[in-house]
Amino acid sequence: MKDDVFAKVDNQYTNYGIRARELKNQGQKIIGYICSFVPLEIITAAGCVPFRVRGDIREPITKGDTLMETIVCPFIRSCFDLSVKGKYDFLSGMVIPHGCDSMVRSYSTWNYSLNLPYFHFVNTPSVVKESSFEFFEEELKAYKKSLEKFTGKPITDADLSKAIRLHNENRNKARALYDFKKSNPPMISGVELTKVLTVGSSLPVTESNALFDEVLAAVSQRKEPPLKKGPRILLDGPCVDNIELMKIVEDSGASVVADTTCNGTRDSLPRVDEGGDPFKALARRYLDKINCPKTYRDNTAGTFEGDAEARFGDIGAYAREFKADGAILYVYKFCDPFGFEVPARKAYYESIKVPLLYIEDLYSAGTIGQLKTRIQAFLEMIG
Amino acid sequence: MAEEQKKPKKRMTATQAAASIGPLVKEFIAGAVRVKAEGKQKLAYTFIVCHHEEILRALDVLPVWTENFAGVCGAKRDSERFLQRAESLGLSRSLCTYALCGIGFDQWREELGQMPPEAPWGGMPKPDFMISTGQILCDPRAKWYQASQQYMPDVPVYNIDLPYPLFEKDQDHRDVWGYYHKYIVKELRGLVKFVEEQTGKKMDYDRLRELVDLSDRTWNLIHETYELRKAVPCPMGTGDAMNTMVPINFMMGTQDSYNFFLNLNKELKEKIAKREGEVENEKYRLLWGGGLPAWFALSDFNYFNSKGASFPAETTYRMIAPLYEMDLPETKDPIEHLAWRWLGYWTFWYDKARKRPGSEPDVERLISFIENFKIDGVVMHEAFSCRTWHVGLIWQLHQLGKIYKPIPVYVVTNGKKEKTYRELPSLILESDIIDITSYSEVDTRNKVDAFIETLESIRKNRAD
Repeated sequence: MKDDVFAKVDNQYTNYGIRARELKNQGQKIIGYICSFVPLEIITAAGCVPFRVRGDIREPITKGDTLMETIVCPFIRSCFDLSVKGKYDFLSGMVIPHGCDSMVRSYSTWNYSLNLPYFHFVNTPSVVKESSFEFFEEELKAYKKSLEKFTGKPITDADLSKAIRLHNENRNKARALYDFKKSNPPMISGVELTKVLTVGSSLPVTESNALFDEVLAAVSQRKEPPLKKGPRILLDGPCVDNIELMKIVEDSGASVVADTTCNGTRDSLPRVDEGGDPFKALARRYLDKINCPKTYRDNTAGTFEGDAEARFGDIGAYAREFKADGAILYVYKFCDPFGFEVPARKAYYESIKVPLLYIEDLYSAGTIGQLKTRIQAFLEMIG
Repeated sequence: MAEEQKKPKKRMTATQAAASIGPLVKEFIAGAVRVKAEGKQKLAYTFIVCHHEEILRALDVLPVWTENFAGVCGAKRDSERFLQRAESLGLSRSLCTYALCGIGFDQWREELGQMPPEAPWGGMPKPDFMISTGQILCDPRAKWYQASQQYMPDVPVYNIDLPYPLFEKDQDHRDVWGYYHKYIVKELRGLVKFVEEQTGKKMDYDRLRELVDLSDRTWNLIHETYELRKAVPCPMGTGDAMNTMVPINFMMGTQDSYNFFLNLNKELKEKIAKREGEVENEKYRLLWGGGLPAWFALSDFNYFNSKGASFPAETTYRMIAPLYEMDLPETKDPIEHLAWRWLGYWTFWYDKARKRPGSEPDVERLISFIENFKIDGVVMHEAFSCRTWHVGLIWQLHQLGKIYKPIPVYVVTNGKKEKTYRELPSLILESDIIDITSYSEVDTRNKVDAFIETLESIRKNRAD
């Protein structure tokens, strides 16, 4: 009975956007976004619903390829393809940030092809330093202004503070969900958590909070863990908004206990500081606290090892906290920000003595068989 | 076959100026190796189009253009061994091959403690520091030196953020560029401080002002010189422009660059007076509408020429715009001016694009070239490893065809012959900047032949 919430999650995961469509029909404005660099608090404060645009590894890219190059990251291509095919036709607008070249260089293609009433680019700085925060604060104010123009309603500091509080609550709840992965075996599987977080990013934050509460209640009353004891895996990579990879791992007798993915801990956990200037706090959260390879941080250590610790220390921390036995570094083909870090990340994993499987993949169901073979071999090796 | 690949066919240049570039580039590379051995001047790895070379030159730093070195490896068909070395480190071939080539080379040199065997034109010396910038253009430029630093951790990196406002249909970029300017000024001042620390020298701002002024004059001179290519027949094509991009992109802020374009200007005027074209019997005028060239296959431009096609204009590596047509705020501070020039360059087409429904700056720039240079068709090149310059090209052609139909043709509708207009034909070539394994000469030339047939058919059937 308590697990009924997972049936609801399954339904919304499979019919992604079903609730957003209902809300649109009730007169709400749904604003789509890709990438974790879009400050959702401003969309919520504007009275709109932020909606994370997903791809679909089982849907062949067709119409999208007539407008966008195949050298674009396959995840972005899939998101674009679904968008131009009308899967997200309930969107009133879209926000794309400076996340990577695939997003920036295709901005006009998105903007003109979808032709939505609202479209905005958030120019996230590519380096982290004091002047970048000042710039980013101004950029966020311009973003707020554009949404005010679109909705015709001013966004007050009180609106913003409330939205920050609601989104922080969401992050606290996500953190509590992750805590259920600490036991051995974990009390929530990687597949379950990915579905919950994915569905949560398609809902108004209040509904997402309520859903997370239901899931927390259901999991806390579980008598039996959903998986058997097995190797504990950390998944390191970009946006992995589908369950297939985790399913292979967990069907093979292991469990995904931690991750650094964009729709996982990278975006779901860092909080916005409350109580001060909201723009300063948002700038800090989105530029500094989100640890993405796209954002350059100075090598203050002067050594490779010191720099690697500064850049990848969160991986080590998660590996320790969640007692990972091994890690999978999962990177999409044509992804420059992650791709150029592979040698450094490999060296880092070696330094923390966590066995690593590196996979470069396409965002496609066509590679599942191959992934299965490689993952099973890796699990046998570390098991 | 391997031997053939090692000896690429040399592209014939139309101008003396373009022919003089090869030795110049060879000297850049050999000169950097020499300077390193002498130890009197600091060397900085860095990238083109950052509007920072005047700062480097004013502080007597010798820029080592790492993209240029990768391009040379590509042109000499000698990049494969460096690409493979990068792959062996765990870097995917789908990433920027300039960067892969550079990282592979750096790692090999550091492992050996000397230049890799038979390094192209003497190789790339270890720098004293590296200056990177992703801007909002290029992730590899932000990641490359960070990745190289793994193999030379004692070489510091300074990463400049150089953003510019993206085009928004409903927003005047001037509403936001104030805070962009403020940020860029801080970034450039940060660069000055960093280079001062690395070199132990103090910036001479009078000298910097002179160099910035020299660059400004060079920008305008380049624009005026390239405008001469409007002439029919066209005296210089894109093939040559892939040589003359060197003084634009690697020599800005030098008298040599200015003098180069004075000479080119004179040479083009002489050719125009003699009605001497790049092609003897010019039949088609093409726009190189986007994409970096395949450096190992520049002779493809000669193949186009052999079919009577000339390229009077290109968007690639034309990294200047006439400053006198930009409404930039006046300032006596050279750093502030560099920041305004940066913003002025990247937003140059914004106002024009906003005036034409459905247009966009890159599309507007294509239309401007098509109209002003009497263009018959557009050619683009999709290099698989570079998202920076090659994402958006398909859409630009799509949008161009949608909003701009300049060719008059007759069509028969309901038995009646009517005059209508059709879009310009276009061709997209596919390969890479330096990865020759992506290239097929036969396929490329078959595509060119088919495109020429289309152009010929349109030429014969035009309604005017």
